[in-house]
Amino acid sequence: MRPLALLLFLWVTAIPARAEDLVSGLSQDQIRITSNYTGTDLTVFGAIEGIEPADANATRDVVVVIRGPDADMVVRRKVRIAGVWINRDAMALRDMPTYYSVASSRPLAKIASRETLERYQIGVANVQPESVGTHNPAKAEPFRVAAIADRAHAGLYLEDTSVEFLGNSLFRARVPIPATVQRGEYTAEVLLFRDGNVVSAQSTPLYVDQFGFERRLFNFAHRNALAYGLTTVLMAGLFGWLSSLMFRSRS
Amino acid sequence: MEIYLPIAEMSVHWLIILGLGAVVGFLSGMFGVGGGFLLTPLLIFYGIPTSIAVATTSSHLTASSLSGAIAQWRRRAVDFKMAAVMLLGGLAGTVLGVTLLGLLHRSGQSDLVISLLYVVMLGSVGGIMLNESARSLLALRGGAPAPARRRSGHAWIHGLPFKLRFRQSRLYISAIPPLGLGFVVGILSALMGVGGGFIIVPAMIYLLRMPTNVVMGTSLVPIVVVTAATTILQAVQNYSVDIMLALVLVAGGTIGAQFGVRMASRLRGEQLRLLLAILVLIVAARLLYGLVATPGVLYSVAVGGS
Repeated sequence: MRPLALLLFLWVTAIPARAEDLVSGLSQDQIRITSNYTGTDLTVFGAIEGIEPADANATRDVVVVIRGPDADMVVRRKVRIAGVWINRDAMALRDMPTYYSVASSRPLAKIASRETLERYQIGVANVQPESVGTHNPAKAEPFRVAAIADRAHAGLYLEDTSVEFLGNSLFRARVPIPATVQRGEYTAEVLLFRDGNVVSAQSTPLYVDQFGFERRLFNFAHRNALAYGLTTVLMAGLFGWLSSLMFRSRS
Repeated sequence: MEIYLPIAEMSVHWLIILGLGAVVGFLSGMFGVGGGFLLTPLLIFYGIPTSIAVATTSSHLTASSLSGAIAQWRRRAVDFKMAAVMLLGGLAGTVLGVTLLGLLHRSGQSDLVISLLYVVMLGSVGGIMLNESARSLLALRGGAPAPARRRSGHAWIHGLPFKLRFRQSRLYISAIPPLGLGFVVGILSALMGVGGGFIIVPAMIYLLRMPTNVVMGTSLVPIVVVTAATTILQAVQNYSVDIMLALVLVAGGTIGAQFGVRMASRLRGEQLRLLLAILVLIVAARLLYGLVATPGVLYSVAVGGS
């Protein structure tokens, strides 16, 4: 929903501006998780089109935002009770992205105002849930900050300045997709800034999924759970039996 | 080389997992316990999600306890009647345990309760074993014969109804204590990802006063069935059994157990029990420290609403 709304907004606001436009692509539109998957780097590349020669030296910035599938999160705060640390306060954050990375050509604070960055949820600190489990947003704030810190610690919320310009109009960014990402639909959004304003944006879907043997095992475990459980037990039983044979040959 | 675990949705270093399985297999071969009390915390420490660690350890325990049970059965050291009574209690306990785990998970207290259970269980069992084995070792050193085991048992156990004759154990006792023991094992298996051998074996020796030579084999039979049932229940209800993780762990365990058994034949029973007691107490102390030490991060995040 959000990328679509953003695009619509941009389409409406960007038309009157000069006809500078973005063309961008991804090194792969599908990330295949297989048995030796340990994470990968996604390359986002593109070009700014329609730069007027007289205007070639203006400050342009490119920001690449990749968001993973949204999920509900529950954040709990520990309190010390009788010497033991116990989870007491809990806060539900609904529809937080499970993966979020932003790459920019310069530090974000230099590209646009804080308000703009907050509005477009650009920057790890500006990631917002769709809604929270309280009517008092101030109460949810420390939990949101804690969730972001937790995701960042897990390497799933990233922020860097890896967008490189190759000449005036070509750019490239390398975004790490770690091994712990969830399967699902991702969006790669490329935003072009001029003087602190978004003048163009492009959004590309990206799919992360398991393939081959892993996919089959996952499907087996979910669609035929009883047979899967029995298979696991049989496998364990076989090993146990083999092991007992080895014991016998020794003694 | 890393392998990707399709259910845990993460990649792990397979040599480390194989090594974990081998170390735990070594200890279980040496001490004759399943080693779940070590394996589950180690897997969680490595970064495997708690629910997957608990569920997958069950299948590892099925393998190691089955291999032990077959070996004991060849020595005719299994009291199948006693095992069947304990198994009945065990299956009831498993169902209750899986339900309890779901309730605790939703309230956000599962980690706390599981840790507390570990500390209390391991602390008390380790303490008792340490006391017993240290005393008999001291007695041996003093030249006195090891104190003879009393055959009488505890008086209150003999007052219970539903008495059954267990020929192989040379016991005539009520069915309630073995049923209760099985029940406890079932709950522990589901809740803590352990077989429960570290509770059930001392309880059979000190509480039921079973002859030591049939205790091991008899305790393994309900553990095999209960851990197998737990694996299947967890797979069906929580989709939390990772077969790739199980495969590597079990393979490591099979190798490790071989060396463990050879090591055990070189040590005295009392020495083995003393070592096991120390190991159990170390794990308990580590978990207790985790409960009382000020955490680096006060917040914990659960993804997926659970």
